[in-house]
Amino acid sequence: MPREAEPSLNEKQFVIQALQENLRLDGRELDQYRPLELTFGDQYGVADVTLGNTRILAKATAEVTVPYADRPLDGIFTIATELSPMTSPAFEVNRPTETEVLLSRLLEKTVRRSGALDTESLCLVAGQKCWSVRVDVHALSHDGNLTDAACLAVVAALRHFRKPDTSMEGGRLTVYTPAEREPVPLSWLHSPFCVTWSFFGDEGELAVLDATWLEEQVRVGSCTISLNKHGEICQIAKLGGTPVDAVALLQCTNVALTKVKEFSDLVDQKLAEDLKRRDKGGFMAELRAENDR
Amino acid sequence: MATAERSVVLPGETIDPSLIPSDPKKALRLGPGLRHIPPTDIVPTVAGQLVTNPVKNSMWIEYNSNRYIPSQNDIVLAQVLRSATDFYLCSLSPHTAPATLPHLAFESATKKTRPILSPGQLVYARVALANRHMDPELECVSASTGKADGLGPITGPGCAFDVSLGFARRLLMARSREDGGVGVLEMLGGEEGGGLAFETAVGRNGKVWVGSESARTVVLVGRALQETDRRGLGIEGQRRLVKKLVKEMR
Repeated sequence: MPREAEPSLNEKQFVIQALQENLRLDGRELDQYRPLELTFGDQYGVADVTLGNTRILAKATAEVTVPYADRPLDGIFTIATELSPMTSPAFEVNRPTETEVLLSRLLEKTVRRSGALDTESLCLVAGQKCWSVRVDVHALSHDGNLTDAACLAVVAALRHFRKPDTSMEGGRLTVYTPAEREPVPLSWLHSPFCVTWSFFGDEGELAVLDATWLEEQVRVGSCTISLNKHGEICQIAKLGGTPVDAVALLQCTNVALTKVKEFSDLVDQKLAEDLKRRDKGGFMAELRAENDR
Repeated sequence: MATAERSVVLPGETIDPSLIPSDPKKALRLGPGLRHIPPTDIVPTVAGQLVTNPVKNSMWIEYNSNRYIPSQNDIVLAQVLRSATDFYLCSLSPHTAPATLPHLAFESATKKTRPILSPGQLVYARVALANRHMDPELECVSASTGKADGLGPITGPGCAFDVSLGFARRLLMARSREDGGVGVLEMLGGEEGGGLAFETAVGRNGKVWVGSESARTVVLVGRALQETDRRGLGIEGQRRLVKKLVKEMR
């Protein structure tokens, strides 16, 4: 199995030395994110997130299936992550690496387990028919901090997504095409976002946001905090690494909240822009007989 | 580089015979990107700019890529992977086969005085041997004079930065400002950069090591190089970039 190329000793030592002088290789502040861009595709439910050189594409889809036998009143919601060899030669198809497992687990915990999507609203006929919503996350380019970018992409894709409208008449379920009835958005309860802190130094005393790939290879520990803009924490994952002072972690959570508010505003703003772009002038414009040409 | 003609060629294209230098005394020398198919055909293997040098009776193709293919006499920045019985295994780029660097290929090295390199350390070296079906071989000493000529293990505070291969070649040109259009290092050390003190080691494998006592200077120079490369800046753009970065980092 190919291994990721290790950074040289010079680079490792310099990254740490520079961080101790409050310097980062790309000239950012320690608690500053790289430029974040969010674009939506022509289809509903496609979100493309660029964070510096990291790029994530998320696509939401829905289909009608039979619900799980033990949960007849719930719909099905799954998140599938895929790190392909296009991202890095160290990733192989059908053989998930630790990074991939952790990423998909974190997304599950943040988005699914926190109840961001109301799965009960996906139920069509109890025990017989329900919507199965699936989000596919593709990492197109990996330059560190996949988690935060992937989480933002998943949330943006789901909030942008529209599922076909349905109706029940006399025990007969009808699914309408977009031409017949305008698709409807999912029942979305709150938007959780991930903020990952990386720790450097002998005792993890240096906390850094949005680490690049080089910094991720050098760090002594990391902690992912998921919360929504109301400050409700969905999960905190500190997977191994050097122990970190509890008071410092509290401080990290406070900074994470301000970042999450920024993400939330960004997604709201981009969704509003996208809606405006799609809106051709409302009902009257649609009824118009005039030809654009 | 005494260049008479510059034209863009594509792989497999026929080269206009008038562009091929024809010195009656010297043999024609083909550089990177060109292949001789006997008896008389010369075919480009990559897309790029055809450059000829009538004085040396040579021609090659200037192109930019990110994949390094070792060729003889290239100066590279290699990273030691591990030590074997009598050589170090070094990586030139993650995609090339590991190169060997003999323990005795350093200036005045004997079995007892050879430098001990740890895995991950950077070495500034010359490619001594590069054949298609063999692992490349490096050396840190000139075989004819026995002098290091600036090659050897890189020590001291500093950091390595990745740039594209074309940019590294332009940096290595004897008159990089005139021929290569890269003046960013001169500017950083000159009045635009306020006379920053730093040293660099440019490797043809797309790595630039920047060394300085001050970490701030290293970051500044590294960012200037990477930005220039990424955005393809001209001399005027580089001057603006240097001024902006120097102001930002103060």
